[in-house]
Amino acid sequence: MREYMEFVKSLLGAEEIFDRPEPLKGVRVLEVCSVVLGPSATDYLAEFGAEVIKFEAKRGDQMRYVTPYAYFWRNLSPGLLEQNHNKYWVGMHLGHPKARELFYEFVKKSDVVVDNLTPGRLSKWGIGYDRLREINPRIIQLHVSGFGTWGPYTGRTSYDAIAQSEGGLAYITGFEGRGPIKSGVWIADWTTGLMCAIAIVAALNYRERTGEGQYIDYSQVENIIRFLDWTWTYIDITGKNRERVGNRDLAICPSDLFDCKDGWVAIVAFTEEEFMGLCKAMDRMDLYERFADPLERLKDENARYILKEIAEWAKNKTVKEIEDLADRYGFAATHVVDAEEAYYSEHLRERGAIMEYDDPLYGKFVEPCYPPRMETSSRLKWGARPMGFDNEFVLTKYLGLSMEEIEKLYEEGVIYKWNPAVPSQCPPPDWDGKKGLKFP
Amino acid sequence: MEDKKIVGMALDPQYARYIYSETNPDDAMRKPEALDDVMVLDMSYGSYAGIFASSILAELGAEVIRIEPPEGDIARKMTPYGIMVKDAGLAYLTEGRNKFHVTLNIKSEEGRDMLKRLVKKADVLIESFKPGYMDSLGVGYRQLKEINPGLIYCAISAYGHFGKDAESRPNQPDYDLTDQARGVIMSVTGEPELDPEVPEEYKKPLKHGNWMGWYVGGAWAAFGILLALLYKRKTGKGQMIDLSPPEGLLAISNYLMQYFHLTKKKMVRAGNFDYAVFPYTYVRCKDGYTFMSGFTDPNWAALCEIMNRPDLQQKYPTIRERLNPENQPAIQHEIEKFTMNYTAAEILEMVTEYSRRPDKKGTVVTGRLNAPKEVMEVEHFRIKRTFVKLKDPHYGEVLVPNSTLRYMSKTPGRVKWVCRPVGADNEYIYGKYLGISGEKLEKLREMGIV
Repeated sequence: MREYMEFVKSLLGAEEIFDRPEPLKGVRVLEVCSVVLGPSATDYLAEFGAEVIKFEAKRGDQMRYVTPYAYFWRNLSPGLLEQNHNKYWVGMHLGHPKARELFYEFVKKSDVVVDNLTPGRLSKWGIGYDRLREINPRIIQLHVSGFGTWGPYTGRTSYDAIAQSEGGLAYITGFEGRGPIKSGVWIADWTTGLMCAIAIVAALNYRERTGEGQYIDYSQVENIIRFLDWTWTYIDITGKNRERVGNRDLAICPSDLFDCKDGWVAIVAFTEEEFMGLCKAMDRMDLYERFADPLERLKDENARYILKEIAEWAKNKTVKEIEDLADRYGFAATHVVDAEEAYYSEHLRERGAIMEYDDPLYGKFVEPCYPPRMETSSRLKWGARPMGFDNEFVLTKYLGLSMEEIEKLYEEGVIYKWNPAVPSQCPPPDWDGKKGLKFP
Repeated sequence: MEDKKIVGMALDPQYARYIYSETNPDDAMRKPEALDDVMVLDMSYGSYAGIFASSILAELGAEVIRIEPPEGDIARKMTPYGIMVKDAGLAYLTEGRNKFHVTLNIKSEEGRDMLKRLVKKADVLIESFKPGYMDSLGVGYRQLKEINPGLIYCAISAYGHFGKDAESRPNQPDYDLTDQARGVIMSVTGEPELDPEVPEEYKKPLKHGNWMGWYVGGAWAAFGILLALLYKRKTGKGQMIDLSPPEGLLAISNYLMQYFHLTKKKMVRAGNFDYAVFPYTYVRCKDGYTFMSGFTDPNWAALCEIMNRPDLQQKYPTIRERLNPENQPAIQHEIEKFTMNYTAAEILEMVTEYSRRPDKKGTVVTGRLNAPKEVMEVEHFRIKRTFVKLKDPHYGEVLVPNSTLRYMSKTPGRVKWVCRPVGADNEYIYGKYLGISGEKLEKLREMGIV
């Protein structure tokens, strides 16, 4: 076993991540996004090697102003950082006719365009798919929004919490007999962004085969619906609603969170073998004899009885005792891991699931790095940037503009940098005017 | 279709019509499939992370062959209250889409030989056994890459196939609840820690109602596989993918780790409050619950105007006051004084009307908290074909959620059939790939190999 794991570590371990290939090397993505939904989709691509150029409206990405307890780190909003890595930041209002012409030039040299603005906003600006496909037939353009670009609800504003509530997730999350509960994170944004990244890489695969680009429309509310496992088939077959049942799993028994002497432990044992292991650990082989069959255990009355028996047993044990029994007897048991424990986990660092990097603008950061662990792995290079920070670099490198031409674009208000009156758009207060700049 | 159903409240109705014509669901089945040159062996066992990953690939046209042990995958039995339709539970019916089903006993040498022959022709293999199990049988990545260097081998497990915890806990199976518990998000999900009205017994971590750990894990696995397929198309090389679902959740846990890194402080469970954006919350209304937001200063001003409560705007003028955990229950309570007088639909109407006013101060967003049963009745989802009811030759009429990838203009995702019984495709698949059929197949059946 040890030898096997050494082998896998030699392929996938964090130590030599920068010496391994990137699967999206050479893929150029134009991001016209704000908040979490759109930027997360392109962030997944950026950490796997895509060059993402982010076009930011003058008011700035909304996440510049969304931060826990109104906390900022050297003018940086942690809320902005979380879904913005390895990107190139351009302050450009795409509604400006001159900006549109520049954007066409980018499109000629790019592979993917992503937006999460109100559906139809891009077409109003002359950069809808009808136009962009003429400029570059190989382009893959994705639009994501709450309800998609057509249909009775198109145009309705949506947020993460709308998708959670309109899609049915909030209703089924919560304790029995208590109110519905929102996820602790913006789960509908992150998961929808992930499915968008999947659609884009599927389209890249197809383009690799055929040379053809395409348009993708993706709906956030539908994405939540798709993630609700057996909910819909159950309602259709039984005519009943799916109700909240706390941490209990109605389709796997036992599977619940139990109180111990010193905290909580999640316990799961579904196969006959695992359930036998758990019953042995509890010294309750009578339970195994009665409920060896997993389907028997799932009947409501049996499930409630089994969970009650486990609860009685668990309350006199420590969490660690139960985890160790799980290792020995082959069922699943774990405490609830929080951000602090994950932060200090040697395991996660060794795997590259958490990575430290030294950002030239903001200093040392420790952040999660996107899964899965693979030979062509993800990596963190740098974090979020002030508004318009990479204007000169991007316009020079990709479009070959001269500094005079760039100066003119500033004068005409086509491109812009941070507003000094809005700190969370700005570089750190002690910035030397050079650090982190890629050009000049 | 009626024009107004297509354009809805579109900003640019002409563009809505154009996108409709590019993504018309009536055309989906006639269009090409993105991955119809890809062959996937899904031998995950008791794992909806594996099954959801292969669903995504199957929706995109890959030939997905589920390899089950002769008695069937235990995942078939993971079903609410034990409800079965023949040999498949409701979760399995939902994710059986477009997949072929064969049986194979990999504990026998003949079974492993057949697996190796299939692997020679495959692009992707997905497994969810305990780390090292396949290797110990001589069919792990180390051995299979020798047979097929282009193979993409995706292993799904609770702690991963290497690392300190993987070494110390190799005997634990992977389940959704334990994934959620280890994925950090659960530590901040649940009833609000700082609300005095919440009874102590409910102040504990809460999982998402669905299999969020498994579905997120499965989506990450599919993402990794698609990246590896693209890399393979360019270089011919396969690779190993190691997916631990808790890492999938950790990676999308907002700013929790960044905030801890900077302050060495942890966030507490906020319930329906939010300590980074507020109001952004579910509130009670006349007929259940609805979402209400107005967190930036202009949007908060708009919300206060709609509620006709200028005093609230004065009392909590900036995000500093509104993000203060002590103020949030009070603000929530004040908003509910207003919303309790109206139904969710009435509130939506008021908000929409306000949004059309030329002198509006900002944007307020609202939306009803639907019970799943209500979701299925929404006209928008009916028109978009969010759910499909198929007449399956074996399982009868079954309703499943449609592929969310079906609005790809060239290669829409799709659901072609619902599910297949255990071993239903043995004859077809083993005949097609290994030349095993008729008497030979019968003999393998007698020996308990298929």
